Amino acid sequence: MRPILFLATLCTATLAQQKQSDFYTIESIPLPPGEVMEIGSIALMPANKVAVTTRRGDLWICEGAYEDDLSKVKWIRFSHGLHEPLGMYWKDGSLYLTQRPELTRIQDADGDDRADVFETISSDWGISGDYHEYAFGTPPDRNGDVWVTLCLTGSFDANAPWRGWTVRITPDGKMIPTCSGIRSPGGIGFNAEGDAFYTDNQGTWNGSSSLKWLKPGSFQGNPTGNKYHTLANLPAPPEPQDGSRVLAEHLKHPNYIPPAIVLPHGRVGQSPTAIEPDRGSGKFGPWAGQVYIGEQTHSQVQRAFLEKVNGIYQGAVFHFLEGFQCGIIPSKLDDRGVMFVGGSNRGWASRGNQPFNFERVKWTGKTPFEILTMSARPDGFNLTFTEPVDPAAAINPASYAMQAWTYILQKGYGSPEVDQSTPVVKSATVAPDGMSVRLVIEGLVRGHVHHLMAAGLKSASGLTLWHPEAFYTLNEIPK
Amino acid sequence: MTKFKLLLPLSLLLTNPNLRAQDGQQLYGLYCAACHASDGKGATGGAFPPLAGSEWVHGDPKRSVAIILKGLQGPIEVGGKAYNLAMPPQGDALGDDQIVAILNFVHKSWGNKGEAVKRDLVRIARTEFASRTTLWTAPELLKLFPLEKQPTALANLTSSVYKGQWIYMPHFEKIQSENVEEEHSGILNTALAALKEDFGIVWQGDFIAPANGEYDFMLDADDGAKLILNGKNVAEVKGIGPLGDKNRSSQGKAALKAGANPVRIEYFQGKGDQGISLGWKPAGAKQWQWLSSNPPKSAPGSPSLILTPMDGKTAIYRNFIEGSSPRGISFGFPVGVNLVYSADNLAPELLWAGTFIDAGRHWTDRGQGFQPPLAEEVVKLTNQRFLPPTARFKGYSLDAKGNPTFHIELDRQLLSDGFAPGTTGTLVRTIKLSGGTSVLEIPLGDNPLVTPKKSISLAPGKSVTVIYKLF
Repeated sequence: MRPILFLATLCTATLAQQKQSDFYTIESIPLPPGEVMEIGSIALMPANKVAVTTRRGDLWICEGAYEDDLSKVKWIRFSHGLHEPLGMYWKDGSLYLTQRPELTRIQDADGDDRADVFETISSDWGISGDYHEYAFGTPPDRNGDVWVTLCLTGSFDANAPWRGWTVRITPDGKMIPTCSGIRSPGGIGFNAEGDAFYTDNQGTWNGSSSLKWLKPGSFQGNPTGNKYHTLANLPAPPEPQDGSRVLAEHLKHPNYIPPAIVLPHGRVGQSPTAIEPDRGSGKFGPWAGQVYIGEQTHSQVQRAFLEKVNGIYQGAVFHFLEGFQCGIIPSKLDDRGVMFVGGSNRGWASRGNQPFNFERVKWTGKTPFEILTMSARPDGFNLTFTEPVDPAAAINPASYAMQAWTYILQKGYGSPEVDQSTPVVKSATVAPDGMSVRLVIEGLVRGHVHHLMAAGLKSASGLTLWHPEAFYTLNEIPK
Repeated sequence: MTKFKLLLPLSLLLTNPNLRAQDGQQLYGLYCAACHASDGKGATGGAFPPLAGSEWVHGDPKRSVAIILKGLQGPIEVGGKAYNLAMPPQGDALGDDQIVAILNFVHKSWGNKGEAVKRDLVRIARTEFASRTTLWTAPELLKLFPLEKQPTALANLTSSVYKGQWIYMPHFEKIQSENVEEEHSGILNTALAALKEDFGIVWQGDFIAPANGEYDFMLDADDGAKLILNGKNVAEVKGIGPLGDKNRSSQGKAALKAGANPVRIEYFQGKGDQGISLGWKPAGAKQWQWLSSNPPKSAPGSPSLILTPMDGKTAIYRNFIEGSSPRGISFGFPVGVNLVYSADNLAPELLWAGTFIDAGRHWTDRGQGFQPPLAEEVVKLTNQRFLPPTARFKGYSLDAKGNPTFHIELDRQLLSDGFAPGTTGTLVRTIKLSGGTSVLEIPLGDNPLVTPKKSISLAPGKSVTVIYKLF
């Protein structure tokens, strides 16, 4: 009997395989012929227009990006000679750009479809001429302020004012230094509640890349730019101890806010970028309130669930979309359920083999069987699903495996995974509707990444999970 | 239970880091392949350096260990192709066993014949380079771990140095040379003449063609150069000018027989910068192989991307320009005059005549560094801020021809500073002041040849026009 059972199991698994194209379509949007369109920012405009900027400093406006027939898209070069914009939005008839040296409002005053007025709103942050000193900017927050996060000079220095900080620019052009401790951002944005987050890349004082919450007044872990606090009479940010752990330093320095979600280096990605919230339109799947995170090196988009425990953000990251044509830099999700992504492989390679891309993602309307949310409990986690689970599989603790680890907080570049432990799933309780499972776990470790592997789960309809892994960063254990 | 017997090993395999620590190919796929590609040829069609067949993975294996531990940045030549990127250090993220596994995979894959790497070597290198806090550069590595010598295609090379003042290639046969040297490196290097200006060099020897067939040559020089193969002119860079100007550099073809083909390269230098670059490849091949120590003046390996005014409109370029501040904004006017305005110092800073700018450095690879204007004579007007710290840059507007007017907000005043082409070789600057009562003293630049006077006074409600004459 044994060999027959073995084969039967394998067959079921094969038949139950879910694949991306069943749920999401990725289409390439034709680009203006002959142009090098290394896309650094995207803005949604009225009348179904979409604006993009390129790393070479062009700004193009696309018509037809929403149409079924993408072969008819039209492009207008609205502006050029811009300095590597990495943030853009449309407001009240103007495009606002976060360029390397400044926040700029640009307009077409004479109505010839070409920008002619470039109003500098703020250029109060420093640049020294190092290519690494990128500036990523948000759309306006609930107060109308733009958040700009300022990469260090190279990996090890802060050679101009406010490098290594995140600043806010008020509508009247005042710059408010807001968070210290930044290393190398790849993107900045808001969650659905409107709180600001950025992605920071693995490197010095950053054991793994992560999604970080920009709580005003907080320190984010890398002390290289700390010295600039004196320019605005701000209190000195913490100086963390080399070789320590994030949790230990957070306990010493409460305004050192730990990364909300660690994106484990190699396992989830290598260079996180854009942050785009799902505002709950329901037109891009059931992921209301979650955030999508671009990934440059792996040419992917990940999905993250955030929750606040004891006043601190934390949560889980899940693999989501893959197979984009190059490294993702910006993304924008429209309320109509169209996600635009763009990017470039220049200078930093990726799994995609094209030098640049502009692609759109649409939901087919079919929902994959996935872990919808993973939420911390005092003695474990609560998982919710996109469809009912098979109770027999879900109730068995052996359907789940967990590993936990953290990283060294050090001035060296990155960190191995350290302090490994193996939390044990003691019990799994399935809700009557089959839509959630409560895991009781022995050996939760505060401050660690908790890697859940739920390969044994099945839906009531016999599917295995599209993505069986989740990585939860347990900054706080709820009481 | 059958089901769980199947599943448990799978999950263990995916989650237990110890089980995969020794698998070099898997680790390579995870940490290295995004840039170096899973086939070792460099990602995105070779836009990143290859490891397959790379001279850098052969020879002393400590070189590879050093690079993984501490990273590498800046210009580097691999397999005859130049790159200018950065590799982050991995020493603090990867353990000794992982580094050993990755390197032993790389050193023995894709036809590589690199030496085996032992754990002790990594441990020793870790200690040896522990205090190093910066990424390696290629010259540093070459000093410590020289590459195995690879002869160039130039054999039996000699150099003859001549002194004289020329603006065109002289007839070297009719002049007595000052000095003749053998050049065993097979590399053209103008610096070996140890002269700054007004000299010439003639290199002679054999170009060793690997096979019968047609070959491409690329020649560039500051100032003139000529390539003669088998007695025939193949390429020539004429007159006075810099390296890296696409309009001057020269390409040529020659049909060569396998083995030695007599070659002669003539070169002369006037004033200012000097250098020669000569590359060759079999016709149709992609990668140039360089026979000179000077890479082209624009970013090495990157194409020259020359911007010029088009359709009678002024060209704009915003990036880091050598000689100005990081917030420089450059304009190329269709009268042969070019400008960098500094939004840091709120003033025009650089003027030059001729070609506008080469964007190749900033528009390829990571875009490192400041790009010099493509001119030997650059007029520096100012390089410091004359307005008080409270003055704010408010941006610029462009007229229908792309000519800029910059806007500056002072305490109670607005200063507008416009630039437009005049007659050929001239730039017209129009400065206006409005609001307030203060009279501003505005510096115009110190060079009496191009600037009418050193400064002017401007009262509120007034405007003044200044003409800069470059030629």
